[in-house]
Amino acid sequence: MFRKFVRTRSISVAKYTLLVSCCLMLTLHAFAQYPGYKSVTDLAAFKKQFAVESAKVQSITSDFVQQKELLALTETITSSGKFWFKRSNRVRIDYTKPFTYRMVMNGDKMMVKDDQKESRINVKSNKLFQQVNKIMIDCVQGTILDSKDFTTRVFENDKTYLLEMTPVSKTLKEFFQTIVLSVEKKDYSVKSIDMNEPSGDKTTITFSNKVLNAQVADEVFAL
Amino acid sequence: MKFLHCSIALLLFAACASDYKARKPVANDKACAEKIKPTGIKTAWYTTHIDVIGKHISGLLLVKQMPDSSKRVVFTNEAGVTFLDFEFRADGSFQVKQVIKQLDKKAVVQLLRKDFELMLGIPFRKGVYEAWQMNDERYFGVPQKKETAYFITGADCASLRRIELGSKRKKKVTVEMWGNNLTTPDSVKVKHYTFNMVIGLKKIER
Repeated sequence: MFRKFVRTRSISVAKYTLLVSCCLMLTLHAFAQYPGYKSVTDLAAFKKQFAVESAKVQSITSDFVQQKELLALTETITSSGKFWFKRSNRVRIDYTKPFTYRMVMNGDKMMVKDDQKESRINVKSNKLFQQVNKIMIDCVQGTILDSKDFTTRVFENDKTYLLEMTPVSKTLKEFFQTIVLSVEKKDYSVKSIDMNEPSGDKTTITFSNKVLNAQVADEVFAL
Repeated sequence: MKFLHCSIALLLFAACASDYKARKPVANDKACAEKIKPTGIKTAWYTTHIDVIGKHISGLLLVKQMPDSSKRVVFTNEAGVTFLDFEFRADGSFQVKQVIKQLDKKAVVQLLRKDFELMLGIPFRKGVYEAWQMNDERYFGVPQKKETAYFITGADCASLRRIELGSKRKKKVTVEMWGNNLTTPDSVKVKHYTFNMVIGLKKIER
């Protein structure tokens, strides 16, 4: 009887120790991954607040710098350009240096223009385009936390929230290991987007000179 | 009706005519071959356009010479997502390091592999050539499995005019490069002749 008690007790203690160790390791992992950040525990409250604050952003005009790092090849390519968003569902990205490329998303339609050709795409006819379009729009208009395409963990420091999104679907997992959104606490606008690929390569888009809620003409998103 | 028959016969004749009929074997001018032999692109980023059977794809292409003498070719879209990463090793072997599902078809991989191998000058590494003269051009060829890879210069052996891949009778692919330094050319055009496909590269100045 005693032996049985001791054994049960030992198993419980072991389980408890394991659980605590796991929690500790996960916390340490989060800290190790994002130094200076702690986990947001009340995710539901954060989601609610995030949705309310993001909804106040009707438009964004911003510059951006994009850095693509190829880890194994020790190569980085930096490009830059201009970004526009207008609620709802309208995004335009113009790459201006060192190449020109335009991408306009307007509802279910998309236009891409390189230095040779303009192509119009109905994103409804292409599942991958549909997903990429949705991710981009969800990220900037603050609805990404409701997306069923990702599981999300949220971290914070005194100025920034980090939203770490892990794809659920096999299609997205092929392209991204995680997408990490850095969101400013002062106005809930996106400061940067890190797209981490399964190979270890990474693309970071950093926004600067952001202007929120200024007048942006509908023609900016003409297809 | 007679005209139609004649037209079909003419078309068939044209289709069967060899692109290399007028080619004459000549002595291999080793000095010229060594001077013109393409050593391939070393390390550079390019904006890239691929037009294939009515479809247009654009993106960025990185060619990178690695410290172990292998070469890597990586194609990404403008937003940074990697579509493919091919490794061409110094011993001639090839490995697909990464390819997205949409491009992961044997025919597509082999087609791009051959095009990139021409751009990288891989068929000419061994340096065993046969030589021909056609019109005002000198052809230096290296037999491949079913085809021959050529590099072509003028009669004066002044510069590389193009790289070409052909079967016994037909020209299949040409690679033209422009710029002062052909190890990092300013622009490259890869054109297929057996179906409608063109790859255009323009160097990105960083």
